[in-house]
Amino acid sequence: MPVVSAFLVPGSPLPHLKPDNLSWGRIGAAFQRAGRALAASRPDAVLVYSTQWMAVLDQQWLTRRRSQGTHVDENWHEFGSQAFDIIADTEIAHACVAGSARIGMHARGVNYEGFPIDTGTITACALMDMGSAERPIVVASNNLYHSPSETEKLGALAVGCANEQGKRVAVVGIGGLSSTMFRQQIDIRSDRLASAEDDKWNQRILQLIESGDVGMLRSTLPEYVKLAKPEMGFKHFHWILGALNGRFTNARVHAYGPLYGSGGAVIEFAP
Amino acid sequence: MAQGEILSGFLAPHPPHLVYGENPTQNEPRSQGGWEPLRWAYERARASLAELKPDVLLIHTPHWITQVGHHFLGVRQMSGRSVDPIFPNLFRYQFSLEVDVELAEACAEEGRTLGLVTKMMRNPNFRVDYGTITTLHMIRPEWDIPIVCISANNSPYYLNTKEGMGEMDLLGKGTREAIRKSGKRAVLLASNTLSHWHFHEEPAIPEDMSQEHPQNYEGYKWDMRMIALMRQGKTREVFKLLPQFIDEAFAEVKSGAFTWMFAAMQYPEIAAELYGYGTVIGTGNAVMEWPLQKAGLSRLDTSSLPAATGTEARVSVGFLTGSGRGAGEPFRSSLVD
Repeated sequence: MPVVSAFLVPGSPLPHLKPDNLSWGRIGAAFQRAGRALAASRPDAVLVYSTQWMAVLDQQWLTRRRSQGTHVDENWHEFGSQAFDIIADTEIAHACVAGSARIGMHARGVNYEGFPIDTGTITACALMDMGSAERPIVVASNNLYHSPSETEKLGALAVGCANEQGKRVAVVGIGGLSSTMFRQQIDIRSDRLASAEDDKWNQRILQLIESGDVGMLRSTLPEYVKLAKPEMGFKHFHWILGALNGRFTNARVHAYGPLYGSGGAVIEFAP
Repeated sequence: MAQGEILSGFLAPHPPHLVYGENPTQNEPRSQGGWEPLRWAYERARASLAELKPDVLLIHTPHWITQVGHHFLGVRQMSGRSVDPIFPNLFRYQFSLEVDVELAEACAEEGRTLGLVTKMMRNPNFRVDYGTITTLHMIRPEWDIPIVCISANNSPYYLNTKEGMGEMDLLGKGTREAIRKSGKRAVLLASNTLSHWHFHEEPAIPEDMSQEHPQNYEGYKWDMRMIALMRQGKTREVFKLLPQFIDEAFAEVKSGAFTWMFAAMQYPEIAAELYGYGTVIGTGNAVMEWPLQKAGLSRLDTSSLPAATGTEARVSVGFLTGSGRGAGEPFRSSLVD
């Protein structure tokens, strides 16, 4: 079974919590367009990697069928709470746990009431209408010690496990572009990228992504990571690359903009 | 109103394994024990705290990471179920705590006066971080003393160690001033591990102590060196070495609690009481106390504030000379416990 659609989206909750702020609302609207495209691709499950689910021991996979609650982001608590009710495809998740040995990783399932689902996953589920019974998700943690190449292996593993179950899957990598945020209170109505250099770098990478030139991307990413510091070394993009077997035809950037100085983009890949 | 006092400061690390090993009713998972030397260390720290009879406990936690400023819990009653995101198999804890909102607001205001960005957390649905809960349980399982809880602004990681510690120094000075004006008798808790190199896999039985030892010999030697200096009261030497300790031992004190506490205590050159040391999944943990009241140093005067504010004030800690790690570095050192 092929990967039927793939998306990269930011993990910041601001587009969900404060859509009335114009620049954040634009990104929120792009999330929703991406969600409609995802739904139209009719996946049986959505394979999700979120940089904000951080792990240091083993590779964790969400194996709880239903996770419910009210989430408050540790930074943006003044903008309100995020209710969530997330359905997971635990069959694929268990297969990923069992299959991790094939790529030399220790893995464990996470199935605990009240486990803190991360902000990025909750935001993407809310805005893209996924994590529902129609579109259950499989969520992989971001082990901080995993390299980009190991993250690609994880993405490929998840697709392989879904294939073995005959399921069509969408893929979502959740995380930001340049990570430098403003460290002071700002007027959020005039939010912008923290630096012109970050903005240039983000736009250069977005153009390369749109062109589908994976070779050029691979050679450019180390410098991008060093200079613009995309969130967590841009491992969420590598998750997508791994899931797409290292190639895609082109991509469409639904939105790109500032999230309190950091860069965020909603990107739809053509597998 | 009488002026407030800082009765004591504790280095009070937060591995959830210690709660798991103790088997309190609030924690769902059951263990066969484990990490006894550290848990016994906390027993001694609990006894000392009980004798002090503080009005309030102030805690700085590395597991509430904030990017825009230093945040303070600002909801009076908070309760819920806390599940550790790294060790959910060990820590699923039902907690209920009371926040001293007035003192928290005062700390935030004093920090602002010194040029820091500070923010009150007023959302009643907020999830209190597991590091705070673990330290508070281990030091005072009765949960009968109000708290002030302060986030770890990520400046030491995002900027560099020197600038980050400069912020924590100011935060401590602001905290001291708020306590002084409050008239309250306070105890400070720095919720930090020392060396932070850790194993990447958990034993099949987490409490199997035959598997527990320092992950890294150099980290262990650093811990012993720093503890020896602390026990001798050589605070100036400790802070001179702190940046190197942070870099070479991957020490969690980088997140700021230790510097915050010492700044609030005005870096006393008094001998620390070591209640115990032990490793947890390879990291170095010491439970220690700087007994200001016993040393006659608990009363606060008005000379603690820097003369200047903002940038000028931030370099007031002249002996913090760390090179630091690069901006944007992932918070690896903050997550294992």
